Amino acid sequence: MPAPLPLLSLGPFALVCAAAVTVLLGIAWQRMHTVSALVTIVGLLGALVLQLALQTPDSAETPLLVFDGLSHFAALMVLGSSLVVALLSHTYLRGYTGPREEFYLLLLCAAAGALILVASQHLASLFFGLELLSMPLYGMLAYRFQSSHSLEAGLKYLILSAAGSAFLLFGMALLYAQTGALDFTGLASEMGPWALAGTGLMLVGLGFKLSIVPFHLWTPDVYQGGPVPATMLLASISKLAVFVVLLRLVLEVPTFRDEALSALLAGLAILTMIVGNLLALRQSDLKRLLGYSSIAHFGYLLVALVIGSRFAVETAGVYLITYLVATLTAFGVVTLLSSPCRTEEASNLEHYRGLFWRRPWLAAALTVAMLSLAGIPFTAGFIGKFYILALAVDAQRWWLVAAVIAGSAIGLYYYLRVMVALFLREAADASRAGRGGHWLNDTIVLVLALLVIVLGVWPAPAVDWLAGLNY
Amino acid sequence: MTLLLIVLLPLFGALVPLATERYGRNICAWSACIAPLISLGLLISHLPRVLAGETLRYHREWLPSLGLDLSLRLDGLGLMFALLITGIGLLVLLYARYYLSSKDSLGKLYALLQIFMLAMLGIVLSDNILLMLVFWELTSLSSFLLIGYWSHQSAARKGARMALAITGAGGLCLLAGALLLGHIVGSFNLGDILAAGDQIRAHSLYPITLILVLLGAFTKSAQFPFHFWLPHAMSAPTPVSAYLHSATMVKAGVFLLARLYPALAGTEMWFFLVSFTGLATMVYAAYTALFKHDLKGLLAYSTISHLGLITLLFGFSTELAAAAAVFHIINHATFKASLFMAAGIIDHETGTRDMRKLNGLWKYMPYTALLAMVASAAMAGVPLLNGFLSKEMFFAESLHLEYMGAWGWVMPVLATLGALFSVAYSWRFIHDVFFNGEPVDLPKYPPHEPPRFMKVPVEMLVVLCLLVGIFPHFTVEPFMHAAASAVLGHEMPEYHLALWHGFNLPLLMSGIALAGGLLLYSQRKGLFAFYERKFRSDEKLVFEARVQRSVRLAQWVTDRLENGSLQRYMALFVGSALVVGTVGMWPLAEWTGSRALTPVDPVSLIAAGLLIVGSFGTVLIHHNRFAALLLLSVVGLVVSLTFIRFSAPDLALTQISVEAVTIVLLMLALYFLPQLTPNESGPKRVVRDVALSGAAGAGVGLLCWTVLTRPFTSISDYFLENSVSGGGGSNVVNVILVDFRGFDTLGEITVLALAAVGIYAMLHGLKLPLPNADGEGRRWAQDPHPPILSVMTRILLPLAIMVSLYIFLRGHNMPGGGFIAGLITSVALILQYISTGTEWMQQRLRWNYRKVAASGVMIATLTGLASWLFGYPFLTSTFTHVHWPVVGDFELASAMAFDVGVYVTVVGATMLILAHLGRLAQSTHEPPATNEKGEKI
Repeated sequence: MPAPLPLLSLGPFALVCAAAVTVLLGIAWQRMHTVSALVTIVGLLGALVLQLALQTPDSAETPLLVFDGLSHFAALMVLGSSLVVALLSHTYLRGYTGPREEFYLLLLCAAAGALILVASQHLASLFFGLELLSMPLYGMLAYRFQSSHSLEAGLKYLILSAAGSAFLLFGMALLYAQTGALDFTGLASEMGPWALAGTGLMLVGLGFKLSIVPFHLWTPDVYQGGPVPATMLLASISKLAVFVVLLRLVLEVPTFRDEALSALLAGLAILTMIVGNLLALRQSDLKRLLGYSSIAHFGYLLVALVIGSRFAVETAGVYLITYLVATLTAFGVVTLLSSPCRTEEASNLEHYRGLFWRRPWLAAALTVAMLSLAGIPFTAGFIGKFYILALAVDAQRWWLVAAVIAGSAIGLYYYLRVMVALFLREAADASRAGRGGHWLNDTIVLVLALLVIVLGVWPAPAVDWLAGLNY
Repeated sequence: MTLLLIVLLPLFGALVPLATERYGRNICAWSACIAPLISLGLLISHLPRVLAGETLRYHREWLPSLGLDLSLRLDGLGLMFALLITGIGLLVLLYARYYLSSKDSLGKLYALLQIFMLAMLGIVLSDNILLMLVFWELTSLSSFLLIGYWSHQSAARKGARMALAITGAGGLCLLAGALLLGHIVGSFNLGDILAAGDQIRAHSLYPITLILVLLGAFTKSAQFPFHFWLPHAMSAPTPVSAYLHSATMVKAGVFLLARLYPALAGTEMWFFLVSFTGLATMVYAAYTALFKHDLKGLLAYSTISHLGLITLLFGFSTELAAAAAVFHIINHATFKASLFMAAGIIDHETGTRDMRKLNGLWKYMPYTALLAMVASAAMAGVPLLNGFLSKEMFFAESLHLEYMGAWGWVMPVLATLGALFSVAYSWRFIHDVFFNGEPVDLPKYPPHEPPRFMKVPVEMLVVLCLLVGIFPHFTVEPFMHAAASAVLGHEMPEYHLALWHGFNLPLLMSGIALAGGLLLYSQRKGLFAFYERKFRSDEKLVFEARVQRSVRLAQWVTDRLENGSLQRYMALFVGSALVVGTVGMWPLAEWTGSRALTPVDPVSLIAAGLLIVGSFGTVLIHHNRFAALLLLSVVGLVVSLTFIRFSAPDLALTQISVEAVTIVLLMLALYFLPQLTPNESGPKRVVRDVALSGAAGAGVGLLCWTVLTRPFTSISDYFLENSVSGGGGSNVVNVILVDFRGFDTLGEITVLALAAVGIYAMLHGLKLPLPNADGEGRRWAQDPHPPILSVMTRILLPLAIMVSLYIFLRGHNMPGGGFIAGLITSVALILQYISTGTEWMQQRLRWNYRKVAASGVMIATLTGLASWLFGYPFLTSTFTHVHWPVVGDFELASAMAFDVGVYVTVVGATMLILAHLGRLAQSTHEPPATNEKGEKI
């Protein structure tokens, strides 16, 4: 392996960090909202382009980080999602009266953390990445601290997250005591009496971030309370990055594939799918509903984790793409409807009654997102669900198949409820009726919605690309 | 290629009416028909080849890695269905033009209908079961939109949702079943699957595959017990009902049975599952249909019953039964579509569908009545009509079944019973609506014949019923032959449809059914009363109740889990983690490992006891924050002592100085907070929390115990061996800090300085309401600077600084070092602030602590950089021994300069934090500031 390769692989990360420092210095020198946003967007875009240009080498690695197909894929997703969030944040924050520039700083830090996390192959970098990802999120969630909901969301996430991290660390300590190693390959060396307990506790910590039932309790409150861009980030890159690192652990460390633990994980997966979907039934708040929906979706994704084969990685990749695109679209619409953030956010379903007659394009985008989340054919979500089912059937895990089916059936019900509300004739909240955003913002959401459909109708390129990545 | 065109044309057709709607309803209607007409034309052009037994194919890759291909096939079965779909579709389009009132958007209905048509054509022409599934889901969705067309009606929305929930869930089951089929066969290609029938039936996964596929088919075809969605889907506009619920969507289920017949049928399991479901559906639905007062409700249940009949025929698993099923599919589509349209006409002209009001319409609309009566007769299975023929075949097949054994008589008897009910409700449809006295207060009066073109579709279908009924051999036989051959997977045995088979048992059964049905109807009054009394079960209520129950369950779970209480979340979180941890520990056979335990001596025992008491005390009195803090410091002190006990003086020193600084910091912070924590936990919660934390603590303790009692490799040996030779110091802890792990330390002091700056930034400009009394209402002392304290601290200052210097210098070899020294200096300085106040100190010590902290970091960094000058990596250290007079041999290490950096940073950062926190408090005790004129500001 030629020496300079890892350094170049670190390029996107370095670019994101550089953007963060630039924004920081910019704030110290002169506060300029648009410039901060621009620096963020340029930095993320540059990182994205660089990452694209990198053409995954054959697993360049440092002791802490590994740059392979999986991390390449995840890094692209992280950068893309962050870019979308950054673009929409600018619209959202225009109306915010407090300091606005720090939001981008936090966003960039979180993105950097996610980049580290997805590439980590060492418990130290895992923890570092995880904290670098989570810390800014506390701040972002509580960003509108004048609103008690936002403050509450930040606080809840902080405290529960701390508990989760404590379990994670204790688990790591036990694993270390067992193997004397912190890197994933070293952890794979031997199985011992308390390795299993350590693994279990690590699962608790990571499962918390993925909001797997029963560690999911924070999700709806935090989703609902946080400002939409922060929630969006939480739903996209935070979950993606943690899932990827967990996937890597499962693939590389045998204790994570232990039979008892795998059975436990399967049980949690089933519980997550059913509970997540059931609880979503009664929600009248779109952000909360999306929170439950993300719980359910990560339940589906756990199926890939439980099975943990090579094909499972591809499946997880496909599912993550489809989930991300649809989730970003849905949250994007919520962001645009809540922008600029002067009053309460448009998260109550009442706001969406008859949206089609006021903002047809946004309503169409939200419809597409809901269809995709529900897994209807010709949207990306169907392809993802299809992969998950194919995987579960191939592995003959009937309970998982049953749970996926039952969960999706329940899911259909509440996603459609949202859709139906969009097309109802009665315009409920006229106050938001005429407020049109900048065309560019609508375009972002529409492009995402289009992507949902393209991925659903012609998924072959994306799937081939994923299958071609080496991990 | 034309196959793809046939499927995709309706998509184009869906766009046209939306565009042409503005030019008027007629243009809209005609333009909407173009695309389906072309589709139909293309289908007919393929007719000769398909009837000759050829199968046309089209193939294109879509998602090859999953086996999902865009491949289509046109064989006898597909052709028959495709003709039904496009043909009846066209008639429905025409009919809808006149049915829909001008308020409703015609274009939208046309667009939805054609999307649905596309989905249905996709199902019947797919050559890949996954592709079929895709279209299957699409029908569920588009039918959802169609049923909910009048979205302002709550009933329509609910009906649509129910239909979607049931068929959607069934579709997902089917998806799993299809994946299994692919798993067994190794291909999703329909041809491969149909050819691999024996392999599938022999496979161990066959039962579950069959069940999943059947679930899909039964939900779609509204088979018992999933039948209840269909009657509620009747809130759709009648053209939609005529199309979806007679000819197409509900037929998708039986189509699936037909399509997969060679692959799945022919086992005992298939027979019992399919035929008994069909039988139950047929009899039950026919019985219920008799009692429905709603015209469309009656038709809906009759549809369910007929679908049950078709299912039953497939269940029989004989060749002729399959042929009969195919035949009945055609027949049912024709007469049921015409009946729905007739019902729509009646509804349209009278404004009601209630059969208790609709009476004697013969006088007002004789022509429509005639059409409806013929169609009804076909439904009842009256000779000379198509329904009769297929029913005869059904009776004949029910008589010889191989699986039933001694129970062979059950099937014919129940079949006759079902047919009897069918005759009764058909007769009721005719008699109640067209005769039976005068209409009772109709919303529209007097009713009259509908527009000419509204009747045309009905006429065409009725004529078809007659033609097929009288001349089956010339009309339907080739289609049926081709379709049945496609179902069976091989040539049909020679069989000719004929009206007259001679006097035989099936004819007798038909006779019994006809006579019995009429007799039953004549006894209707008593029956209706009986039904009202006893068997009135509304599935909608049952379904709604079930939905409500699950919703309530969801609500209950939500309330339990998600009440927004952080304490509850925390408790659940810790509890769940405990479970996971326990699972992980379960395999551990023995807690205690092989390492010998160190003996317990009295000193350690006392220390441990103190620790426990201190911790318990802190928890017990935590409501009183200051007191709890004091007890907490006991814990800290005991920990320092423990370090000494285990020969770690360095750590002890660090711990004790950190302890002092932390307590000061906490005191300063607590000063601004309420002195008492309000008691918010009820006794129940306290018990829960105690149990949870006890369990969690015990778990962690046990884990530590298991780890520590087992042999582990320690990394300390390496440092002990290399400390003197590599770092030139015998105090290993300090050498680790400044040498081995110098880079870490650099990072840490940077973080410390950053944290201090952060706290400074946050406190900057902060104004807090200051408390003037403690928790129990006692006022704080008025004299903030008691003289004894001031004097004592001033004496202490030089002493403390000397000690810290001493500790700093000896640090490399003996307990001490920059970090501890820095803390000691900070404590000494902060004492000055406490005893004499910020003002006084600031006049004497004009340091900018921010710069102090920063310069500390800078010194440390520069030391590291210095090693570059000598060509070594960053932070490489060197050491030498110099001989000082008086002091003696003294070791000088470059790491000491680094330690200076640590020292300065610690002092700067600590002071920055504490002094600023202290200043907040200071202002309360000073007289209000005045300006030059002596006024208060």
